[in-house]
Amino acid sequence: MDFFPIWLSLRVALSATALTLLTGVPIAWVLARKRFLGRNALEAVVVLPLVLPPTVLGYYLLVAIGYRGPVGRALASIGLELAFTPGAAVLAACVGSIALVIKSAQAGFESVDAQLEQAARTLGRSEWSVFWSVTLPLAWRSVLAGTVLAFCRALGEFGITLMVAGNIPGRTQTLPLAIYDRVQANQMGEANALALVAVGIVVVLLFGLSRLARLRY
Amino acid sequence: MRHSLSLGLALVCGFALGAGSTGAADPAPLTVFAASDLTFALKEIAPHFEKATGARVTMVFGSTGNFAHQIRQGGPADVFFAADQSFVDALIAEGVALRETRTLYAQGRIVLVTARAFGAKLTELRGLLDPRVRHIAIANPAHAPYGRAAEQALRKAGLWEALRPKLVFGENIRHALQFVQTGAVEAGIVARSVTDVPEVDWVPIDAAMHAPLDQAAVVVRRSARPELGLAFIQFVNGPEGRPIMKRYGFLLPGEF
Repeated sequence: MDFFPIWLSLRVALSATALTLLTGVPIAWVLARKRFLGRNALEAVVVLPLVLPPTVLGYYLLVAIGYRGPVGRALASIGLELAFTPGAAVLAACVGSIALVIKSAQAGFESVDAQLEQAARTLGRSEWSVFWSVTLPLAWRSVLAGTVLAFCRALGEFGITLMVAGNIPGRTQTLPLAIYDRVQANQMGEANALALVAVGIVVVLLFGLSRLARLRY
Repeated sequence: MRHSLSLGLALVCGFALGAGSTGAADPAPLTVFAASDLTFALKEIAPHFEKATGARVTMVFGSTGNFAHQIRQGGPADVFFAADQSFVDALIAEGVALRETRTLYAQGRIVLVTARAFGAKLTELRGLLDPRVRHIAIANPAHAPYGRAAEQALRKAGLWEALRPKLVFGENIRHALQFVQTGAVEAGIVARSVTDVPEVDWVPIDAAMHAPLDQAAVVVRRSARPELGLAFIQFVNGPEGRPIMKRYGFLLPGEF
């Protein structure tokens, strides 16, 4: 069996999860705590990737990051090419999964009693410190639950990846693409084995995490 | 809490950064984007080419329309085997593919397939009217060349309107066949080149029933090794490739 897709998918999903955490948690906090013009628009944009069909989303992304697209040209000017690389698979996984981190974390932050944060402020804590010492410790279960969902979604990402990263064996063929490819080639044995690996990874992850954090889904 | 979180993030980021360097060790293989009706034939031909030239070949199979989009956006194909020559001609007109490398490599044939699980084997299109045939799989005629040919054949037989409620569209020809292979769909019209699977029976459909499925291949302008790409096309069209293509039911240049 070809192990490359498993290895690639783990790396892509982990990278994407790290990136969605870094960008999604601040966005979630802003949505939960700030009132500003365009907030409703931002909320809508955030869930858009869950609404649009992945291949359609992938097509738009490809037009943007392809070598003729605006983002693609900007990247090319600093010597980078993103489309059809493992990096594009990471981007695809991020786009597909970030809404899950944002919505879970936002719900978590909103459930934190604002008076507790206010109390910390009256004691002289900075906003940064309030977040780390009050908000996050009270909301971390929601953040973690969102992160786990995002990781699973990133691991299973198919449609966006197919468009922006291609389905290139040994380069950008992730686990879901490899399964699809084996089915297309009528190699059902290998397809089943890879599918079993994907299920195995997620079961072990969810089991481990729920033991670790006593999470309830 | 805060420190362990930052540490975890840092670890994951470090792991992630390594992802960019995946598989960049030896010289890049020749990358061929090929229509899914070629899945079985080209998988068989590619190793012969590798042995003959010493080059490595990466085959990517999928939808002709998708590949055309991707090649426009810089998709890393050296060679593109389309299921329909119009996609190749569009890429040439846009300056994305090399006109002088355009090669007609085959003409596709469509066949009527019946799931073995169905019991009876259909031998003519009219058999699809049988009420026991509840669904008929074809590739999506809106964008799949073989789906278009299936629609033309059904229209010419005067069956299109009557059979329309039974039609199920696959994304491509392999997908349409899978409906039949699973037994969920009783019959279908697909490419001859993908029907050598144990779950189905097939009979040819007269080529006069649809516009010719002329399939062309071309070398992509951005390819770093256009000569090797052209060599691959010629290999498929040459004495080693032709018998294999023929075995999968393609009509070859000079035969149509």
